[in-house]
Amino acid sequence: MSMRISTSWSYQQSLSTMLSQQAALAGTQNQVSSGKRINVASDDPAGAAQALAIDHTLSANNQYTTNIGTANTRLSTESTTLDSITDQLDSARTLALQAINGVLAPEDRASIATNLQQIRAQLMQLANTADANGDALFSGTSSTKTPFIQNADGSVSYAGTDGQMMMSIGSGLQVAIGDAGSGIFMNNPNGNGTFVAAAGSANTGSLIVGASSVTDPATYQAGMTAGGGYTISFDATGNWSATDATGNPVLDPATGAPVGGPYTAGDAISFNGMTVAMTGTPAAGDTVTVGPSQNQDIFSTINNMISALQGTGSDADLTNAMNRQIESLDQTQASVTNTQVLAGSRLGVLDQQGQSYADLSVTYQDALSGVQDADPAATISQLSLQSAALQASQQVFAKVQTMTLFDYIK
Amino acid sequence: MANMLGIGISGLNAAQVALNTVGNNLANVDTAGYDRQTVVQVERIGQSNGRLTVGAGVDVVSVQRQYSQYLTNSVWNSNSSLQRADTFNDLTTTLNGALAGSGNLQGALDDFYGAFSTVAGAPSDSSTRQAMLGDTSKMVSMFNTLASQFTAQQRQVNTQISNTVDSINDLTKNIASLNQQISQAGPSGAPNSLLDQRDSLVGQLSGYVGVSNVQEKDGTISLYSTSGQALVSGNESFALGTAKDPYDATRTNVTDAAGNDITSKISGGSLGALIDYRSSVLDPAQNQLGQAAQALASSVNAQQAKGLDLNGKLGSPILSIGGPDVMGSSANTSNATMAASISDTSKLGTSDYIISYDGTAWSMRTTGGQNVPLTDNGDGTLSGAGLTFTPSTAPPAQAGDSFKIQPTRNAASTLAVAMTDPSGIAAASALVTTADKANTGTGAIGSTSVTDPTNTAVLDGATITFTSPTAYSITDPVTGTTTTGTYTAGQPITVNGMSVTLSGAPAAGDKFTVAANTNGLNDNGNALDAAKLADTGVLDGGKTSVLDAYGNLTTQIGSAGSQAASNLATQTSLNNQAVAAQQSLSGVNQDEEAANLVKYQQSYQAAAQVISAAQTIFTSLINAVQS
Repeated sequence: MSMRISTSWSYQQSLSTMLSQQAALAGTQNQVSSGKRINVASDDPAGAAQALAIDHTLSANNQYTTNIGTANTRLSTESTTLDSITDQLDSARTLALQAINGVLAPEDRASIATNLQQIRAQLMQLANTADANGDALFSGTSSTKTPFIQNADGSVSYAGTDGQMMMSIGSGLQVAIGDAGSGIFMNNPNGNGTFVAAAGSANTGSLIVGASSVTDPATYQAGMTAGGGYTISFDATGNWSATDATGNPVLDPATGAPVGGPYTAGDAISFNGMTVAMTGTPAAGDTVTVGPSQNQDIFSTINNMISALQGTGSDADLTNAMNRQIESLDQTQASVTNTQVLAGSRLGVLDQQGQSYADLSVTYQDALSGVQDADPAATISQLSLQSAALQASQQVFAKVQTMTLFDYIK
Repeated sequence: MANMLGIGISGLNAAQVALNTVGNNLANVDTAGYDRQTVVQVERIGQSNGRLTVGAGVDVVSVQRQYSQYLTNSVWNSNSSLQRADTFNDLTTTLNGALAGSGNLQGALDDFYGAFSTVAGAPSDSSTRQAMLGDTSKMVSMFNTLASQFTAQQRQVNTQISNTVDSINDLTKNIASLNQQISQAGPSGAPNSLLDQRDSLVGQLSGYVGVSNVQEKDGTISLYSTSGQALVSGNESFALGTAKDPYDATRTNVTDAAGNDITSKISGGSLGALIDYRSSVLDPAQNQLGQAAQALASSVNAQQAKGLDLNGKLGSPILSIGGPDVMGSSANTSNATMAASISDTSKLGTSDYIISYDGTAWSMRTTGGQNVPLTDNGDGTLSGAGLTFTPSTAPPAQAGDSFKIQPTRNAASTLAVAMTDPSGIAAASALVTTADKANTGTGAIGSTSVTDPTNTAVLDGATITFTSPTAYSITDPVTGTTTTGTYTAGQPITVNGMSVTLSGAPAAGDKFTVAANTNGLNDNGNALDAAKLADTGVLDGGKTSVLDAYGNLTTQIGSAGSQAASNLATQTSLNNQAVAAQQSLSGVNQDEEAANLVKYQQSYQAAAQVISAAQTIFTSLINAVQS
């Protein structure tokens, strides 16, 4: 026996088929108009969570890109400022060399001193440069706007910290976006960086102390640790000898004999792993002191140059003073250059990292779109399929449901 | 002749009854619960005249409804499942809509964490700090909005439970009353319309709650809920009731006629869906959202406490959030109270707990019935599931007292921005360690951090002097006291709530000075650490970040929704099959009735023709006799 069809149930069935087709059509329509495959989490729970995760990665990338921008601005400002500082240091060095070369009239000395004063003022200003946010570039992590403060006696003190501001430019990747002014301008050793050899202040001869260097670090270190510094003395016969900090003669570590001997103008004096170049002729009793380098800030260096130029010392005195200050200036110059190299390499890292975020963003955008966006072609063809199916159902309903036996019995 | 007339009349009567029945079928073609009726005719016993027996016509013995208890039962059962699936799907659809409509919480969280990075880029800039507070309040309001959507749905579920229980009670009352009329009519009375009406009501009832039935001999039906409670027995009905949850007065539970709580026993129908949805989807979703909010607040505030704000003070909380909800049972015999606090966010679960006292000891289980280990700390407090409990000692708890603990249920709605002054954001590291310039070893500062912000001496600093490569002494610069310790490479040195880690090998005489970073307020170390919280595991023992937790919540709610939708599709098709089978037997087919109409009309005409023939024959006879 075939199945009986209940008239009202068959109406209801046709109706609910059309209703569910309409609902499916509305869903597809929503996908087409929103462009999204996932409009609520239940559309695809796993996909919804995946979309959140990708979106989070994208946000993190965007934030890192912003951070890179911030870091870039700051490091570029630092780099430019260091360039200007290098220029000022070069000018100071040129002026200092002018002061040494040739015989200078007092007015020439005064003019050089005036120039140096201007350079010093410029350096002060540059060292207190502010970044884009108005914060001092070289204050370390201090919030002070003027990390370099001029004291009443002309000396400069540093009010910043030795810390470094960092910026996060990736997961677990931080880059320094500043360098403390203390390291760049304040804590540079004088002399050759290890020791300083200086002509005695009471010298009367024409002895000029030139460049000095360590020739054997181990011997130098052993000698300096034991002796604590040396005094080289010249006697009337043109011989030199050396004593340590306690006044005892310095002994050659190899022979055990006291160091010393005849001095010829232009010769370097070498003992205990170091060498000191000298020119000119010392008078009897003239001395050269050798001691470990002390930190000297660039402002003191320039101050020292100015006071030497303004002083009334002999040409030899001036040359010796200038030689020592040029050594200090070179130390600062080296530290500025090092910092510039560091900042440059950080800028390189930022550039590289920024580029990779730009590339990754495209990749993640694609991935996100793959997860949550509706495929327009597929969705639209689905839409037309569904609307065709609905139309067919409507036509069938109109046909079938109007067929009744009552039409034929009269 | 009289016989022929009688036969004709019986045919007329039978055709009339049949025509009425067809008419009734056609009239009820769209009546819900109507079962098609058919006429049962039998041949009248003829009388023998000795040689032969002539038939005596037809009798209508009954008008039967076309009915199968088996098919009807299957319709009722599938309707129960269908309505359960339908209601469940409605509820999860609402929830998914609420989640999608409450804004992009994950985007807001990303902005919030990102704001720490932005502050790190310009730690003293008040505008970036102000913007960060803006991002904070945006994120907090999204948590609040979503939480309020969840709370609104809890209220909706409560109302729906009450309304459904009312509908159930109306139906069982009506069914009992129909039962009475049916039993009065008696089984032979065949009250088709009463039976149809009653079965239709049972069908509706099964949509509200799962029922089982027993057909009684007197024609009545007895109904039981799936938990075994009698709902209808003969002419009696037993009303369900609603009552406040013994722990939570805002929650509506279902009771039987005797007042016993049968909430957890209800299944099937829309009532079953409401109860199941509440405990398996909505409660956990609220708890998960609260758990994420709690983890967010505690991790951000803890990081904040490790840094210095622009005023050089240790950071105060950026966010505020409520603690666990503790609710005493209405059945408690004492007035004892219970305090609960979160001691370890990473151990927080998403369950709710019942903590109860047996007269000597406390024990704890989840509301799902699983035992949870509880440690007696010996100081009057107990610990378990990342929580610390303090039962009151005066008045003390009595045996049988219990409390319900909801660790995070309402946390997301209590989340708020605690900070108003942007300079309070602690961007700078609290401490800075410097190595003495005269150090001869290779020891360098690895990291310095605050481990206990509540230690009042934490910003006092300390001087660590190595007396040998493996031993050090620490001098407190404020009190001047010195303590000593043994140094193991790589192990942190801790003092006054702070921790210093060195790398390399320090030599005897080396010195490290730890001091408050008050001169370094443009430092951004703490802000950078706070930004890292976006990807730091703070839940599930450190495996799950706040963003992960939100992702999990999304998956849970999404899965509940998609499962409900596919279950609804399945139940709809099962129900369609059951109804189609039942309708195939009991439904009215208009064409069939039309054919029957023609048939019985013709039967009627034929019977009338028989009567007419009888009259003609009789007239012929009379005429013959008269002539």
